[in-house]
Amino acid sequence: MTRITHATVQRSTLANLQANLHAAARLQAQMSSGTKISVPSDDPSGAHDLLRLRAEQRTTAQHQRNVADGDAWLATVDTALTQSLSIMRGARDLAVRAGSGALGPDAREALAAEVEARRDSLLQQANTTYSGRQVFAGTTAGPAFTADTSTTPPGYTWHGTGAAVTRQVGSESTVRVDADGSAVFGTGPTSAFAALDALAAAIRSGDSDMSAGIAAIDGHVSAMLEQVASVGARHHQVLEAKDVLATRSLTLTQQVSGVEDVDLAEVILQVQSQEVAYRGALGAAAKVLQPSLMDFLR
Amino acid sequence: MSTFSGVSTALSSLIAQRQSLDVAAQNVANANTVGYTRQRATLVPVAGQSVPAMFATSPGVGQGTRTASVDRLGDVFLDAKVRSAGSSAAYLAARADAHATLEKSIGEPAGTGLAGQLSDFWSGWADVANGSDQGAARAVLLERGTAVATRLATLYSDARTQWQQARSTTSALVDRVNTAAESLAGLNEQILAIENSGGTAHELADQRDLLVTELAGLVGATTRVRQNGQVDVLVGGNALVTGKDASRLAVAGAGSFAQATGGQAVTVVWADRPDQPAGLEGGRVAGLLSVLAPPDRGGLLTEAAAGYDALATQVADQVNALHRGAVTPGGAPGGDFFTVTAGQPPALGLTVALTSGAQIGAGTAGAGAYDGSVATRIAALGASADGPDARWRSAVADLGVRTAGAVSRATVAGTALAAAEQQQLAGASVDLDEETVSMLAFQRAYEGAARVLTAIDEMLDTLINRTGIVGR
Repeated sequence: MTRITHATVQRSTLANLQANLHAAARLQAQMSSGTKISVPSDDPSGAHDLLRLRAEQRTTAQHQRNVADGDAWLATVDTALTQSLSIMRGARDLAVRAGSGALGPDAREALAAEVEARRDSLLQQANTTYSGRQVFAGTTAGPAFTADTSTTPPGYTWHGTGAAVTRQVGSESTVRVDADGSAVFGTGPTSAFAALDALAAAIRSGDSDMSAGIAAIDGHVSAMLEQVASVGARHHQVLEAKDVLATRSLTLTQQVSGVEDVDLAEVILQVQSQEVAYRGALGAAAKVLQPSLMDFLR
Repeated sequence: MSTFSGVSTALSSLIAQRQSLDVAAQNVANANTVGYTRQRATLVPVAGQSVPAMFATSPGVGQGTRTASVDRLGDVFLDAKVRSAGSSAAYLAARADAHATLEKSIGEPAGTGLAGQLSDFWSGWADVANGSDQGAARAVLLERGTAVATRLATLYSDARTQWQQARSTTSALVDRVNTAAESLAGLNEQILAIENSGGTAHELADQRDLLVTELAGLVGATTRVRQNGQVDVLVGGNALVTGKDASRLAVAGAGSFAQATGGQAVTVVWADRPDQPAGLEGGRVAGLLSVLAPPDRGGLLTEAAAGYDALATQVADQVNALHRGAVTPGGAPGGDFFTVTAGQPPALGLTVALTSGAQIGAGTAGAGAYDGSVATRIAALGASADGPDARWRSAVADLGVRTAGAVSRATVAGTALAAAEQQQLAGASVDLDEETVSMLAFQRAYEGAARVLTAIDEMLDTLINRTGIVGR
């Protein structure tokens, strides 16, 4: 049998108290920090998951910002297209009026001037910007369309390169958020602006046959409608991605919480039982260490 | 058998009980002295003089008692157990401490560590891809690139600082070993001298045992007791202390972190034979040496530094490879985004090569000034399975696993040491109750001997004063 002395009792009591206090400190740290993993060795695989989930959270947040940006781009493009369509439809009405009856030269001049004013607003729409970026010029820096007024009729040039502006809305999905200016408005002599110029010239010349001008306008309107449909489809894609990302963000938050956060009820319970054990150890120490034979000898 | 022999018998008891009481007093006095081993006076009866002769008059009664020796109630086997347990516990504790310190220095997974900075960096690229016309996004990206480089340099220099601290701790501990060895040799000499002159030197032996235990914890020393009672101390099979002579140890090998990462080990050698490694088998110094080792020999800190270097190289290579294929808004080729200063470890020498946001290449040639396709591809490196983030995550998890292992091994060894110490203490420590009982017994025996003396005195009084007066 092992010999027990005051020194050994004292020592083992101290060791037990230390162990108890150590466990209590660990629980207290968990409770006050709210996290189970303060250093990787607390749970190495949990730490790995935590880092991966946090990176995914960051990526998701970035995608959400991309989606918001893309949303705004597409809304701008959509508005510009709607405006352009109404301008073209107005021009078509003017053409119909010019071809319908005998108008005096003054009235023709007025109609032609109105058509030219519409051409200018169409050009303005074609150079719509969103936060400093041309929405119909792709990745090109300058304005999408320029008019060279030195010649008659003026020459219209599109400066895009065909490179699309895209936004990453998911790890594998990108969405085009601009519209191809050449597809919307056409380029050079076949552009919508040139068509309006030709219409104005036809009205001024007193030609009552407007069918060529109307056909040209109809062609451009249908091209624009095609783009509106395409933009609408892409806008839908972006909004869907927004919902997906919101759900993903929520799921990730839950997963991070599952890996990292302490179960407060459980920890509080453990702290309580630890406290009881600590009190017990203290009480036992006080009882065992106090008496010696001296107390009982005369 | 003389008439007076009873007096001397009683006297012998008085002397012996008093000596026993002195020993008990010494025990009680040292009840809380660290390293004190309890002592006990061993009494032996003195045999009567029985001469083997036909007319011998001896009645065969003994001549009292005497203190044969004062014994030191230690157990060499328990002592040896404490030392071997202490040696491995100190080795593992040194390793566990180093792991825990390194683990705290990486600052993961708090969200503010390198992983967070890398995420910020990739996010910065995505912002440049979205708004490559915006100078603000470009400026932010440069700052985030610098933050990643700075963080890697901080991690590297943390590992370097920890290495240097461990190196100087090793030197200090080896100095302590040399001092302890000299004191131990001195004690060996004193103890032999005292014992040769017939004295007891138990208190000095206690001190010597404390030193041996300390040496076991420092360099895994083992002992060999000589026939004359001197203790030889062996380190790695060679004698550190032989009788009254002590050898010296010295620290050799890599003196700087750069030498250690270059493959040079830190070793402990014999001072008089600097090319002869001491071959430590345990103890705190051996644990520190294993932490200080070069990367190919499993050195914790140098391996960590090599990991940081690899990570820095990977970040620079992967970003640069894509950035070289990009063009700036001005149409110039992108070139390198990061450079590594020559002659420095990559983790320390990593810097952002660009000086202004306009130099960042975000697009491909011919795709328009505001193209962000390359920036998008660089931003996607963060999610890549063989990208820097994945490497860092697995490094963090790996360090976590190794730290958890080292700490639990150290805890187990610590428990074994505590058990061994408890056993040693159970044999060697002073029990006050036991001493009290002994004191009672000695006191009573002393009283008894005094009473015997009184009885003999009265008997002699009868013989001397009251006889021969017949008819007076």
